[in-house]
Amino acid sequence: MIRRRKIKEASIPTASMADIAFNLLLFFLVATTFDIDTGIGLTLPEYLPPEKIPQIDVQKDRIATLYINEKGDIVFNDRYIEIGEISNNLKPLITDKIDVPSNKKLIVSIKTDRKTVYSKYISVLDQVKKAYFIVREEYSLANYGQKYKDLDTDTQKIIKEKIPIIISLAEPGTN
Amino acid sequence: MKFDKRRGNTKPEIPTASMPDIVFMLLLFFMVTTTLRDVNVLVDYKLPEAESLEKIENKRLVSYLWVGKEKNIQVNDSVIKLDELKDIMYSKRQSMQGIIVSLRIDRNVDMGLVTDIQQELRKAYCLRINYSSTQKY
Repeated sequence: MIRRRKIKEASIPTASMADIAFNLLLFFLVATTFDIDTGIGLTLPEYLPPEKIPQIDVQKDRIATLYINEKGDIVFNDRYIEIGEISNNLKPLITDKIDVPSNKKLIVSIKTDRKTVYSKYISVLDQVKKAYFIVREEYSLANYGQKYKDLDTDTQKIIKEKIPIIISLAEPGTN
Repeated sequence: MKFDKRRGNTKPEIPTASMPDIVFMLLLFFMVTTTLRDVNVLVDYKLPEAESLEKIENKRLVSYLWVGKEKNIQVNDSVIKLDELKDIMYSKRQSMQGIIVSLRIDRNVDMGLVTDIQQELRKAYCLRINYSSTQKY
């Protein structure tokens, strides 16, 4: 009599699958870095050779000048100033120019010396940005009754057009 | 009153059959979000501090440039000279449209060097930059 052996159903053991997957998961959890780079954004102008730079006359009242010398002193429109005062001095100038056409908006010109320390320049730039953000916030609250970051992107765009951040970086002088 | 302890006639069990699926889903998420890009930073730097910071939304477009205390410039994995910067950045821009250069510059570097770097970036048409800095509290 031939006894036919009963064949067991062939199967891959899946009990340890979860463990393997957990191990992989753990690796990726550890390896993932969520460091979003933060900083101050800026768009540089296109490079033009010196002889091709067009001379554009800009009205004096459109420009606010900031000069940082090598010792870190800050001159704002021909007047010495402390870092903390920059945004307060700049705010009324920006606010005045909200309703003028886009070719008459305020330009903030930042000039440094070649020996000026980088961190000083960043803190000045930071103050300028801060002034603009405060004005945008106030404008948004006054006209839309909402915080700027809560507005939808279209409205944000309108405000950005109303209050554009125009920063001009002058070539650093050596004297 | 009679308290009747009702018991189910099946063994209480949590179904674990779908556990691997859940874990794989999590795994997939982390695999997709992980950017395994470890650049050896060869320069020593300490970022400046600022208050009104912005976040860079698009991480894939960011390219980093380090400038250390000793005024050495690093791009990718190597320390380079200033006059090599233009060509390197130009070829980077070719492969990445809308590149944002994040400048990780030491806080005590002088502006002369920063301006020179900016000039080179302008020549290479890498116009969007970001001065990387840490939050000041």
